[in-house]
Amino acid sequence: MLAASISLIIISGVILYWIRPHKRPWAGWLAALPPLAVTVWQVSAALPFLRGAAGTEAGSTSALQNGAIIVEQYRWIESLGLELSFRLDGLSLLFGLVISGVGAAVALYTHYYLEDDERQGYFYLSLFAFMASMLGLVWADNLLTLFVFWEGTSVTSYLLIGYSHQSAIARGGARNAFIVTAGGGLALIAGMILLGQQSGTYTISEIVTRPGLTELELYPAILVLVLLGAFTKSAQFPFHWWLPGAMAAPTPASAYLHSATMVKAGIYLLARLHPALSDHPMWLWALLTFGGITMLLGAVTAVRHWDMKALLAYATVSQLGVLTTLLAFRSEAAVLAVVVGILAHALYKGPLFLVAGIVDHATGTRDLRRLAGLRQSLPVTTAVALLAALSMAGIPPLFGFVAKESLLESLFESARHGSLAGWIAFGAAAVAGAFFVTYSLTLMWEAFLRPGANAETDTSGQDNAAQVAQATVHHAPAAPFVAAPLALVALGTIAPFALKPLDTFLTSSAASISGAPVHKHAALWHGFTPVLLTSLLAIAAGVWLFLNRSFLRRTLAQLPENLRGVVIFQKTLDGIYGLGQITARFSQGYTLASQAAIVLLAAFVPVAVALRQVAPNDLLPATSVLPGAPETILILMTVVSAYVTVRVRTSLGAIISLGVVGVSVTLFYVFFSAPDLALTQLLIEVLTVVLLVLVFTKLPPDTRPPMQRLKQARNVLVALAAGAFGFFLVLFNTSAKLQSAQSISGYFLHNAVPAGHGSNVVNVILVDFRAFDTMGEITVLALAALGGYALLNAPRVNLPTARSLRPQSESAESQQVESTDVAEAPKTGSTVEAD
Amino acid sequence: MPELYLRLLNRILTPVLLLLAFYLLFRGHNLPGGGFIAGLMAAAAFQLQILSRGHVRVRRTIGPYLNSSIGLGLAVAICAGIVGLMEGTFFKGVWLSLDLPLLGYLKLGTPVIFDLGVFLVVVSVATSYLLGLSRASDTSARLREGSASPVRSDIHTTDRPELNVDPTRRADS
Repeated sequence: MLAASISLIIISGVILYWIRPHKRPWAGWLAALPPLAVTVWQVSAALPFLRGAAGTEAGSTSALQNGAIIVEQYRWIESLGLELSFRLDGLSLLFGLVISGVGAAVALYTHYYLEDDERQGYFYLSLFAFMASMLGLVWADNLLTLFVFWEGTSVTSYLLIGYSHQSAIARGGARNAFIVTAGGGLALIAGMILLGQQSGTYTISEIVTRPGLTELELYPAILVLVLLGAFTKSAQFPFHWWLPGAMAAPTPASAYLHSATMVKAGIYLLARLHPALSDHPMWLWALLTFGGITMLLGAVTAVRHWDMKALLAYATVSQLGVLTTLLAFRSEAAVLAVVVGILAHALYKGPLFLVAGIVDHATGTRDLRRLAGLRQSLPVTTAVALLAALSMAGIPPLFGFVAKESLLESLFESARHGSLAGWIAFGAAAVAGAFFVTYSLTLMWEAFLRPGANAETDTSGQDNAAQVAQATVHHAPAAPFVAAPLALVALGTIAPFALKPLDTFLTSSAASISGAPVHKHAALWHGFTPVLLTSLLAIAAGVWLFLNRSFLRRTLAQLPENLRGVVIFQKTLDGIYGLGQITARFSQGYTLASQAAIVLLAAFVPVAVALRQVAPNDLLPATSVLPGAPETILILMTVVSAYVTVRVRTSLGAIISLGVVGVSVTLFYVFFSAPDLALTQLLIEVLTVVLLVLVFTKLPPDTRPPMQRLKQARNVLVALAAGAFGFFLVLFNTSAKLQSAQSISGYFLHNAVPAGHGSNVVNVILVDFRAFDTMGEITVLALAALGGYALLNAPRVNLPTARSLRPQSESAESQQVESTDVAEAPKTGSTVEAD
Repeated sequence: MPELYLRLLNRILTPVLLLLAFYLLFRGHNLPGGGFIAGLMAAAAFQLQILSRGHVRVRRTIGPYLNSSIGLGLAVAICAGIVGLMEGTFFKGVWLSLDLPLLGYLKLGTPVIFDLGVFLVVVSVATSYLLGLSRASDTSARLREGSASPVRSDIHTTDRPELNVDPTRRADS
């Protein structure tokens, strides 16, 4: 059923593409059905399991500890240790439900967001392909299967971010996101192979039960590589900047990929490998450091952004930092807090992104400076936004509050046990909590609650400039458009009151992370504890910061540009391009002869170095037969015509004597009975000679001065070196020593007919035994045709350099991220101080 | 216009060369021949065409298919490898024996399909080079004569725009 669900999603994507959804009013509902079906199926499959777990909670722990609900295996490439194996357990269920549940809401929403967009079908196709990859990622029970789907999410997210491919911002964002996540993917595959080789299995469920992985000598390498993969995917410092850049994606993609699912893939990986790798101080400090920095950095920078999506993006970065920090710890409370945090975040951040999209769609802007008073024009949307934002702020009794309480409590518990790490994390989380409140309030107040210009102009009616700048609702959202975030928010609002039924679900997920049964329970009310006090203090501090936010924004705006990750990345990228240009100029900028010299010497030098190890005796030929009369004549012919080629004055003469060289070599092949080689060589000779004659007769006569002595000498030297290269290579290959060694030619001769079904051994080698080589050769040929096409068809102009788009300065970027042009945004000071 | 004997040779030899190419392609697994050689042979046929009819006309006939058949050849070759993947490993040879009523016993295998892909790539790459180079030499020859503009000759059709049209006719229409 797991594989069937993934196939269902892929097929639905193709169907949605095929029906041209932008012309069908019901397409949104149709699109929501497959993910919804997957959600329902997962719930129905998991219910008996969870009930059973609840029943036996006191005694048997197997169901809670490492119990799988469903296991599926499919044979794939056994020789590589690849198999498609899926396994649904508590953690996979949690992620699977988030992916398919939020996916259903986003699928419905997309149809209304991309109203009348002709490429809606394409978007659905990419979105569903992404959804399938994501489901595969969290259900996979094999490291390599997981990796295949991991890369699938990278590629599909690239397509989704770059959906508006005519916008340079979207292309740049997509490229940056892809380079970072795919680069992390490369590190990850290395880490996974190390992990698989060291533990002796690629099956994840076996790896996590294998003890002693942290004592391996290679553990630090595995850890660093896996963390690189997870941190790049989950936008942890210092890779956090790609996530705000990826906000150029259409809002449904941002809501889905960049808050609910893809960025959680790194978190998922950390959680999945938590039982195997976490029992080491390196794990603790690595996750604590990077998670903590990410958490604070995201929380503080979120406040300064005017674009709703940018603000939410940094808030997401911060939340991802929180989850990473929590995963540093091994306590039951910490892993439970991770589970609650993931669920709560999906249920408030997803809707907030969707709301930002609705606002954008309805008013044409997401700029907080231009938005105000949406509570009057978009009442339902405002209600959704308020519930979600309050949850984000961690205000009781919403789900966000439960998440924050679990977070602070687990960290406080670690701190109370005298752990320094616990105190650090607790302090950082409290500070970040205050900023959570600040940006949530900012978002609520500036976009939705503060009195809008409509109210002002009703009374004064003179502030014309403000009215122009003020965005108004000109396109009321359809009901299903709002229904999608509403459904998610409703779930998030009910959840805290339904913690009892949810309990086994949460604890079984937590048990999958910790690898041991979890007896903690999430609760809405913990009583009057120091944690509650901290929470209240954080809220108070957050409100104070909110009131002083213009000061905060001014301070943050003064930070130097060069510290921004995106700028540093762009500079690095430009540096690489520059290096490429320098290399190209060094190796390809001169005449044809010098390029050929570089290529030939590059072949000659390594062989010359290697041949030094060969004793002269080794070069003795196997059979010492003196050349007969025909061979002698051929040799003489070859040498003479080669000499003539060099010395002859006219180009036509050179071509003809070159042809003679080629034909003499062909005759050698004939003498030594290699008909295939002879045929090939002959055809090549004929074609080149005819072609060269064709070209050279029409070219102007060469009027250049004779070649300089120095260059002539160089050419002679290179030619001699190349000749020596060929000579010694052949001598070595036919030497008695090498012939007596085990040779593969015997194998080819014996197996051509029985195994290759062909009596032409040369051809059987080409297309069967060495087919992979031939594949490479014809690929090179095709590439050469591309190069030739470019050379022969290009008009003689200088091609533009490969310099790409430079990142805009922060303010310019936030302006351009908006979907529509902003007409003269009001200066920040006035609006901020007005409220 | 090229010499008469070339045009006559072209008439006779091109079909022969192409048939020979296919012959070499399909017998290649057991006797000298194969995708590379057959591809070069077919390219020789096109070279003869270029020599006798001029590259513009040849390009008009086969030009549009050249680039796509490079890709097609690669795709065919990869597909042959993927068939092997289904049976075990990439590029594992899979053979099918057919007993056809008229043609007799026929053995068809993925290596033969792979060879077909090689043939397609070789013939298209070689021909596109032949066409490109003959155009380049043509353009430079014209540049040298100073009679023609350096624009690509094949964009404009061979029939030149009528330069000596009576100006009054144009005014009438």
